[in-house]
Amino acid sequence: MVATPKYEQDLRKGVLVLAVLSRLRTSQYGYSLRLALAERGMPIEEGTLYPLLRRLESQGLLRSEWKVDTGPPRRYYVVSADGASLVDSLTASWGELTSVMDRLLEGQDQ
Amino acid sequence: MNPNALIETYVSDVVRYLPRAQRNDVAFELRSLLQEELEGRAAEVGREPDTSLVMGLLTGFGRPVEVADRYRPAGFTVIRPSEAPRFARVAIGGVLVQWILTLAATFSRPSDLDWLSLLGAWWLPWGLGAFWWPGLLVTLSLIAGFVHSRREAASEWVPARDIVRDRDQVRRGVFVLYLALGVVGASIVCAVPSLPIWGSGLPAPLVTALTLDQVFLATRAPWAVVLWVASLTVGVVILVAGRWTRATRRVSAAFDLAWIALLTWWIAAGPIFTREYANEVTKGCLVLVLIVILVDLVIAVRRATRSIRTPRVA
Repeated sequence: MVATPKYEQDLRKGVLVLAVLSRLRTSQYGYSLRLALAERGMPIEEGTLYPLLRRLESQGLLRSEWKVDTGPPRRYYVVSADGASLVDSLTASWGELTSVMDRLLEGQDQ
Repeated sequence: MNPNALIETYVSDVVRYLPRAQRNDVAFELRSLLQEELEGRAAEVGREPDTSLVMGLLTGFGRPVEVADRYRPAGFTVIRPSEAPRFARVAIGGVLVQWILTLAATFSRPSDLDWLSLLGAWWLPWGLGAFWWPGLLVTLSLIAGFVHSRREAASEWVPARDIVRDRDQVRRGVFVLYLALGVVGASIVCAVPSLPIWGSGLPAPLVTALTLDQVFLATRAPWAVVLWVASLTVGVVILVAGRWTRATRRVSAAFDLAWIALLTWWIAAGPIFTREYANEVTKGCLVLVLIVILVDLVIAVRRATRSIRTPRVA
């Protein structure tokens, strides 16, 4: 039997970085980002999202700072200049990819 | 159980796998996020945070070691999946060969001990000791893997067709094994002069037979150490580069010639061991080694000078 959930998970993994970076044009902390993504139909497991934010920051794609807004101190993340340019580039690639995939799935010739 | 205490324990378990400099910051953030997640879940189900809620959250989050892995950047591969089966065969095979040889030697020797005592006497020095071999292979693979990861980041992809035709390409696994065997062989031979010190447990006739001639030890033997160190250095350079170059081939051929000269000197110039029969056996073996080096040298020269022949066209 084909393990569909695993393939779906792999599919989502490919767009995870773009999804996260796209929502961080304005600064958010981990929990609020997860809720924002889930509300827009992109639920990401906590155990995946929070370490991912740190890794993206260490790659220079995000910046972060501790802030006290309402409640306890929270670490807020926002895309850096490199991160913003990556979002633009990945968005263009995503557009091309979806149109190619649409054509492939509809069985049309290029 | 107090939910906050569970979160605290979980966070501690995660951060202990992280670099020390990162621990405090990650711990503070992770604890805060988990508490918010817990409050969120409690609000969804309309009850106060309790043990079952927090356990559901933490088990869903993942095992601490796996979560810590996600925080870390990807490392380098020590043993590639494609090389893992061969590595396992060589590592385990090496241990098994040592066990078979040492067990045979232990049980064939006349002794008053029962088989269980013999097995116990064998286990510590030889049974457990045999695991130096996988350790050496892993250490060499670590070095090769680290160097390879650096080169991969800097170098471009090379077409597979060229690799097949490229005789200069080094097969890293085989080369690591070759170097490992070289180090082992050199270590064993270098240990012979001090045999009376470390080999007190060996049979006295064996120790006597392997007593080296003092003139040989003072004049001809040291050159072998020089050549071994030089050969090993060139071997490591080739391993790091991942391929033979014209320079390394020439240096290697020069070393082959030097070994031929040295071994010929050893054979011709007088006794190697103080005992005559040990001398004869050793010199016979050295002649075989000389032949192997000569064959290797001839093959290397032929490879260096061979051109690609034009195929016969019908």
